[in-house]
Amino acid sequence: MNFEHRQLDNGLTIIGEVNTKALSTAVGFFVRTGARDERPEINGVSHFLEHMLFKGTDTLSALEVNSAFDRLGAKFNAFTSEENTVYYAAVLPEYLMDVAKLWMQLMRPSLRDDDFNIEKNVILEEIAMYKDLPQFEVMDQARALHFGKHPCSNSVLGTNESIGSLAAEQMRSYFSQRYAPNNMTLACCGNFDFETLCTLANQHCGHWEAMDTSRTLEDTNGTFKSKHILNTNLVRQHICLLSPAVSMQDPRRFAASLLGMILGDDSGSRYYWGLTEPALAEIASMQCESMDGTGVFYSYICCDPDKTRQVMDVIQDIFAEINKTGVSEAELETAKNKKLSAVTINCEQPMGRLVSLGFNWVYNHQYRSVQEDVDAIKSVKLEDISKLIEQLNPGKFTMLSLGPKTV
Amino acid sequence: MNNTTDIYQLKNGMVLLGERIENVHSASFQFLLPAGASLLPEGCCGAGAVITDWLFRGAGERTSRELIETLDRLGVHRGASASAHHLSLNVSLEAGNLFSVLDLYADIILRPQLDADQFELARQLAVSELQGLDDNPRQKAMILLFEQFYPDPFGRPALGKLEQLKTLSFDQTADIAGKIFNPSLVIFSVCGNYDFDAVCQHTEAAFDRSSNSELTTPKPTVKEKSYTHFPAEGAQVHIGLMTPAPLVTSEHYYEIAAAVSILSGSMSSRLFTEVREKRGLCYAVGANYKALKDHSGIACYAGTTPDKAQETVDVILDQFRTLKNGITEDEIQRAKVGLKTSLIMQSESTYARSSGIASDHFLLGRVRGLDEIREKIEALSVDSVQEFLKLHPFEDFTIITIGPDAVKT
Repeated sequence: MNFEHRQLDNGLTIIGEVNTKALSTAVGFFVRTGARDERPEINGVSHFLEHMLFKGTDTLSALEVNSAFDRLGAKFNAFTSEENTVYYAAVLPEYLMDVAKLWMQLMRPSLRDDDFNIEKNVILEEIAMYKDLPQFEVMDQARALHFGKHPCSNSVLGTNESIGSLAAEQMRSYFSQRYAPNNMTLACCGNFDFETLCTLANQHCGHWEAMDTSRTLEDTNGTFKSKHILNTNLVRQHICLLSPAVSMQDPRRFAASLLGMILGDDSGSRYYWGLTEPALAEIASMQCESMDGTGVFYSYICCDPDKTRQVMDVIQDIFAEINKTGVSEAELETAKNKKLSAVTINCEQPMGRLVSLGFNWVYNHQYRSVQEDVDAIKSVKLEDISKLIEQLNPGKFTMLSLGPKTV
Repeated sequence: MNNTTDIYQLKNGMVLLGERIENVHSASFQFLLPAGASLLPEGCCGAGAVITDWLFRGAGERTSRELIETLDRLGVHRGASASAHHLSLNVSLEAGNLFSVLDLYADIILRPQLDADQFELARQLAVSELQGLDDNPRQKAMILLFEQFYPDPFGRPALGKLEQLKTLSFDQTADIAGKIFNPSLVIFSVCGNYDFDAVCQHTEAAFDRSSNSELTTPKPTVKEKSYTHFPAEGAQVHIGLMTPAPLVTSEHYYEIAAAVSILSGSMSSRLFTEVREKRGLCYAVGANYKALKDHSGIACYAGTTPDKAQETVDVILDQFRTLKNGITEDEIQRAKVGLKTSLIMQSESTYARSSGIASDHFLLGRVRGLDEIREKIEALSVDSVQEFLKLHPFEDFTIITIGPDAVKT
């Protein structure tokens, strides 16, 4: 496994992890932009723009773009979060440079009015789809409640109103400010030649102009508010809890991730024994989500509406207990083993590896080998977890519940 | 892409399949146990969902807590699910822990404690999960579709039926749980970094049990094509439709795969282009080939807001029906490279490959080598796919909708 790194004069970073034994190769553009970079009147534009990238360039129509990917047998897609927009494809090694070139071209899209108007319907359908999936709706609402005035409260999809009134010109303006080369990373994993990739990038991206794309980073503890949204069409109660955690830049993120697992993994965690195993809730999970300059512990619980009170009592007990006695050595060892096997399995395919490679660079301008991640997980000590519990107090949270009962 | 599948049959008849993958540190295995939804006695729909949870609530000498803690300490990633044919238990782990975990699974499958209190909790969870389906209309649409499409009992929902789950008894369920290990019908597959001879020896000792107990033999009742609307309030109408297609054993299997790929393989496919790209009717639209042993079809899902539901159904049906009118050379080339790439990427994942070889053995009675599959894909042509579509045009549809209003079909 060989790591390579290059920066073009305009600031575009190219990183690669070369593994000549891999059967496939994955490549992606990581653009440091997302819902938190949007003003309220253009909320949802990052995600809408992600769809529009597939609509082509001055020389490629949408159909030609899709056909080109498919002719290369590419497994390709994109996703948008609060703070990143990621475009990726996995192909057989012989098609890597073709698919990389295609992405390079697409990063300078036409953003045509006709395409914009048709795709707006698709976005509105996507918003409607998630309205019918309360497990997503509850998370969106809870995030807004927890982050309050912090930009991470912005919804990734936007609303019917913000998307409905968005104009193509507003999107073009946002694009020109955010898709600057110094705000983008081209990452590649698998069996490929790094020099050839850099030459290709210089040829297709070397003329892009750098811009000021700074983002104000501030942490927040959240609002710690509680809210119940009544929806009598729903059958189950969907509950989301958010509390402050640590950022992607924070070395404590490995410990925080293990703490999330000890409390809320789907097997053998405190939530499992307190809620799932005794059949109080069919789903009870918690994980740490580290972001740019901030982070949250995020719990999702789905239960019988009539058991909501009991479920919340158990959760209070779980947090009270952990504040009082901490976690055991056995719990920490178990969480480490689960995490380590997940890292191992995930990294056996280039597509799985690409995302962690890319994000390590985006957040920390740092290459971390799989072994370094493994070592960081192994080195977490019981006292690190105890300190985190004391510093973060995960039992104090923002709560949003959505369902047929108000609690 | 050289791969060889090792096969071994235990003395009791259980089949072991193995495929070594170089350069990985993980291994994955899967047990297919002959106790799927179609094999359960009348009135016990959903017992499989209860059993897949109950088995882990104490086995051998270990209590529920000891068992889960032991599995977790070994870093095991596990899943359990029920399908029409099987209860399936799957595991991914660090290869070095394979034998320790196999011993635990011998306890789980052969010596579950089946405690009565734990039964009640497992049953309650299964009821909750089934009720939760109402809050996930997309998944519910496909479950209702399969129930309407497949001959009974093959379409019975593995998650269960509420009235049957509510009255399911300890005795009935324990009786079924005692029959899941019928060795001549059990398939075990393992992929990754392992030594096959050692696995065979270990499994021979750990699973040394004979049993002739069998669950029911299904007597299928054929279903006619139909349209059923399930009224519900929501933001979208959820549409499921399914048309019959030849079995995996058919000589036309690869032509089916190509036809499905042309319809829905990726973003340049016909459904995506016509429904989403050109008309903006849906965010989610897609079709898959769904294979049971003796019944198969192509199932399609689309979700759209109520005022667009009729047009969405019309456009989708039109795309299925007009496929027989001709496909292009470019379409077949894209389908071929897409199918080949999927195949190679599957071969990099120990989990995907262990499921693949177990499924092959069950459906075909043998495991197809990757080279064989690649040759068959390469042999596909416009002519071969068109000939297949002439013989098997997609004309009869079972359709369901969940939403405020019905559509015309």
